[in-house]
Amino acid sequence: MHAVKTVLAWGLWLWIALVIAGALWWAPPLTGFVGGGESSRIVFFHVPMAWNAFVAFIIAGVASAMYLKGRAPRRDAAAKAAVELGLVFGVLATVSGSIWARIEWGAFWNWDPRQTTIVLALLFYAAYLALRAAVADHETRRRLAAGYAVLGLVVAPFLFFIAPRIAAFSLHPEPVINTEGEVKMDPAVLAVLVSGSTAFTALFFWVHSLQCRLAAVARRNGLEA
Amino acid sequence: MSSWLAEAAAVFAKDWRAELRTRFALNTLGLFAVATLVVVSMALGPIGGAPNGPSVLSAVLWLILLFAATAGLPRLFVAEEETHTATALRLSATPSALFGGKLAYGLTLLVALEAITTPLYLAMVQLPVASPRLLLAVLLLGAVGLAAASTLVAVMVAQARARGTLFAVLLFPVLVPLLVMAVALTRQAVAGEPANVGLTQLVLYDASVIVAGLMLFPAMWNP
Repeated sequence: MHAVKTVLAWGLWLWIALVIAGALWWAPPLTGFVGGGESSRIVFFHVPMAWNAFVAFIIAGVASAMYLKGRAPRRDAAAKAAVELGLVFGVLATVSGSIWARIEWGAFWNWDPRQTTIVLALLFYAAYLALRAAVADHETRRRLAAGYAVLGLVVAPFLFFIAPRIAAFSLHPEPVINTEGEVKMDPAVLAVLVSGSTAFTALFFWVHSLQCRLAAVARRNGLEA
Repeated sequence: MSSWLAEAAAVFAKDWRAELRTRFALNTLGLFAVATLVVVSMALGPIGGAPNGPSVLSAVLWLILLFAATAGLPRLFVAEEETHTATALRLSATPSALFGGKLAYGLTLLVALEAITTPLYLAMVQLPVASPRLLLAVLLLGAVGLAAASTLVAVMVAQARARGTLFAVLLFPVLVPLLVMAVALTRQAVAGEPANVGLTQLVLYDASVIVAGLMLFPAMWNP
């Protein structure tokens, strides 16, 4: 089992290296962007990171619901690890996105609907961690944090689908760049984007499982964070 | 005088040392500031539109209601914990019934608040409302969602430290969809435009949060 995991981990590193090489050299620059499209290569890293932040949100909500049902501490640890990773990937997606927005749209921040949803997801993650920090008792902390994560999952559809539509409708007449528009341009771009997204998702699950194992070891030794 | 200075410096140093050990106030206050910044700039920016227009005025109305709710609604459960009546309440009331009662109390409080604030605000900024019935519907439905989310967050916050700040920090991300929908609908009410699916979406949000509240509340309330 250990050998299999080692092979899988090395396979993942190789895969990610291929994706990076593909993103920087193999995929052609996208047409219709500033600077001959070279700046648009950020999309190969930006989209997977935003996707991971979204995956983290769902995992945190589902694991929290499972915690509330069975009260197994490992479910809570899974939710917490997902939120922490979601925060990391969300910050990376936001920063990379706003650098691109500076090059492409001329401003770091312009309340594009997607910027709005990601910054709210980040706020939600931070609030979840603040709630955990504010409760001293282990049981109470797990219970309250799980409830908050489930509440987040319940309102998330409104955040992701309804709210940005209203905002987009009212203020941003300029075309919003979307992945559908880009991937139509070249099959190589699509291939790198899809394999990059799966690689980053695999990376997410790998780090997540490491975090969960770490939390399990900490619990066994009576060290709870 | 120098001993006064030394004492003040000692208190100053003590407070910062204690704060840097936990970084609790720093984190929560920082998060509160950021959450407020996001909510306000979002309400005034992408949703609001042109300055001084009816859209900005609708956004400001909802910000006023939001902050009023943030100031008052944590009391829903904090008071029970502080006066140690929470235990008696845990023994005597069915959790879901307690959620219903607290929600109704919070809702009536918010509606009373709106009944005072909204006419005053509309008069002060001289904003004529083309369809008052839509505005009433939005105010009521918005209050339902605000009260439901606040009740659920209040019961969590009552069992934690730094309740006032934490309440807003937890509530704002959850309430942003409501805020966005309510501001858009208020703008439509002011302009006299048809509400379309907006009202249905708001009802859907309220229903989702109430159902989530009924399901989550027992686990949040009982240790």
